[in-house]
Amino acid sequence: MSQSFHVKNETARKVSSDTFFRVFSASTEKILKIAVLFFILLFILYPMVCIFIRSLSTVSGIGFANYAEVFLKYKENFVNSITVGIATAVLCTFLSLCTALFVYTRTGKLKAALMAVILISMVAPPFVSSLAYIQLYGRRGWISYRLLGLSLNPYNAVGVVLMQSISFVPMNALFLLGILSRIDTSSIKAAQDLGARPGDILKDVILPLMRPGIYVTLLLAFVRSIADFGTPVIIGGRFSTIASEIYLKIVGYSDLEAASAMNMFILIPSIAFFFLYRHLMNSTGIMTDSQRASVEPFSLKLGKCGASGLAVMLSAILFFVVILLQYICIFASGFMKRKGGGYIFTTEYLKELLKYDLSTMVRSVVYALIVALLGTFTAILFAYFTEWRKLKGRSFFDCLVTIPYMIPGTCFGIGYILAFNHKPLALTGTGIIVIANMIFKQLPTSTKLCSAAVSQIPRAQESAVRDLGGSSLSVLKDVILPGLRPAFFGSFSYNFSTAMTTAGAVIFLINPGKKLAVFKLFDAVYSGEYAVASLISMLIIIIVLSVEGIVYLLSWKEKENVS
Amino acid sequence: MYLEVKGLKKSFGEKKIVDDLSFSLDKGQLMCILGSSGCGKTTTLNMIGGFLKKDSGSIILDGEEISEKEPEDRPVTTVFQSYALFPHMTVLENVIYGLKFKGIKKEEARERGYEYLEMIGMTEYADVRIQRLSGGQQQRVALARALVLEPKLCLLDEPFSNLDAALRERLRFELKKLQRDLGMTMIFVTHDQEEAMILSDKMAIMEAGLFVQCDTPKAIYDAPATDFVRDFLKLDRMIFKEDGSILKKISE
Repeated sequence: MSQSFHVKNETARKVSSDTFFRVFSASTEKILKIAVLFFILLFILYPMVCIFIRSLSTVSGIGFANYAEVFLKYKENFVNSITVGIATAVLCTFLSLCTALFVYTRTGKLKAALMAVILISMVAPPFVSSLAYIQLYGRRGWISYRLLGLSLNPYNAVGVVLMQSISFVPMNALFLLGILSRIDTSSIKAAQDLGARPGDILKDVILPLMRPGIYVTLLLAFVRSIADFGTPVIIGGRFSTIASEIYLKIVGYSDLEAASAMNMFILIPSIAFFFLYRHLMNSTGIMTDSQRASVEPFSLKLGKCGASGLAVMLSAILFFVVILLQYICIFASGFMKRKGGGYIFTTEYLKELLKYDLSTMVRSVVYALIVALLGTFTAILFAYFTEWRKLKGRSFFDCLVTIPYMIPGTCFGIGYILAFNHKPLALTGTGIIVIANMIFKQLPTSTKLCSAAVSQIPRAQESAVRDLGGSSLSVLKDVILPGLRPAFFGSFSYNFSTAMTTAGAVIFLINPGKKLAVFKLFDAVYSGEYAVASLISMLIIIIVLSVEGIVYLLSWKEKENVS
Repeated sequence: MYLEVKGLKKSFGEKKIVDDLSFSLDKGQLMCILGSSGCGKTTTLNMIGGFLKKDSGSIILDGEEISEKEPEDRPVTTVFQSYALFPHMTVLENVIYGLKFKGIKKEEARERGYEYLEMIGMTEYADVRIQRLSGGQQQRVALARALVLEPKLCLLDEPFSNLDAALRERLRFELKKLQRDLGMTMIFVTHDQEEAMILSDKMAIMEAGLFVQCDTPKAIYDAPATDFVRDFLKLDRMIFKEDGSILKKISE
């Protein structure tokens, strides 16, 4: 009797603690959801609204007067931006295509080595190309002056186009390599079977199948070019574009109205192009992502493709030579010193750098780690609420989260200044604003990685957890998070390396006393301290590669454990 | 003999995939190679088509050694299991793609293309994009694309395996009729016993890189060479007509 009572009592207590847990977990989930959505509204929507309003406000009220004025005043810059944009898009796409085809058709160690070069260039900080360019081909350039005895003026539009093209190639080439690897090998076999020679296969099958991908690279390169202020500021000389003018307006004159209005002229084409880009991405799927596609890579002898094959190989080789020269140059200027008639090896600059600027580097790494962790968790939660819980207003939030991807970095940065330089959220000058800006600028890509992973998790697992007595928080903890481990690693490395190397959005938010490595690098290139600039570049590359390497090892170990 | 394969060998590493294979085929005949997956049938087909280099042996087609030639130089065409149609081209463009390498003018190529589209009953689809077609229609286009070149030999690699049973049956008869009408020599790879029995003039049962038996379906039915052949073909479950075609298959 007493025993049975005891059991009953126990059950009752169990039930009440169960209910407690349930209520607790339901409210925790609600709080998490509200927090994530609130931060997205605050750090994405609000700055965008601010920039829009500011661009409309004039001394005499609200209107489009700023736009008209800005357009007339900076007409030349518009023309410059568009001309450079088109030239860069064409040149960069051509080089990326050649590079991708060349790398894809290599085999063995050479292919691995070329891939490594591309991947290293992916994590190289911006301005590296410009830095090397000035030193190699400038007035006192190692190649132009010391080798060839020429004194060229490198500061002009051609320099801008060349440097932008070269620095955008690695990303675009990697994208095109992805397309190439998804081409159905049997299409190529079929063409060969029907009598097509290698040249015909390239012209009739490979290039047409890559066409949507080629358009995408044209768009991406154009949008990146019109938003890039660093290259024209460093090597444009008297040639200036909208982006470089915006930079000067803010840094030099703090003229936020004009900057906001000018921004709109970059923003609008960027958004229009984004929708075009989405449309094109869908058609790359139709062309290449066939379920029946065989997985083995195809082989194509570029050497037998006639003149076009030759052009592809020569352009790709030229690109790799330029890139190699670039890294040799950076290494040399960091560690070589002129002495007498020649150069000697020295660690003098390195010692100097470590003595005076170590704190900058440490700050960069700390920020990047915070961004990588918080950004990834935000992305996971957002993916969970939209993709798994199908929250109300999902399409609105999905659209909102893609905005930072669409708009140029400078624009996102200016939005933050406008939004957070007064009460109640006076964040300018703090580390928080920089970190928030990075997290939300990178959120579109991290969310994409996580959403894809969430949609792969079988729904039945949730039913199983619920059936066995788990709450919805247990679903998040025991089903979603474990299912997202690979995406976690991917998103972490992406966020870390981007935070270490990004320049666009954050440049206007940095407190002069709390610089990050990338901006130290920018200043060093701008003011001609090439040795320091080279060493910072190298350090950034080494840090990013080691962190990515560690993350890769961890995720690899994880996979081993599972299987 | 029209097609003569002698001592064909292929290994991947230590593993012998095709082991000293020899056979021959008359002009206008259809031979099925039947076997379970991994028996080497697709590897054999790939060596005849030119997509794989043989280790040794010879392949003589119409008096000409072809085994050293590139696929594009062989008078052989292939119908792939995945169809391998060009997704960026229309039906007609797909069909006539190979003709341009034979130096045939565009106008004439189109005419010939239409001729073959008529044979497969798809004239009204000439300008349609490949993605719009059903699986069966895609398979017909792939067949027309291979036949329009009037090859000396046409290879078919499990062409019907992605289709449902009813459609498969219909396409079998269409294929057989087309093959007879054109007098085309064909090698057809499949793992479907019934399909092989119905289509074959000559049938080869393949196991571990070798033909266990190679003869007419009727002869194999009357005297299966080994127990493996009997079991593999499920001969106990089939009833044949006088002419060797299947009358009935007793389902399991």
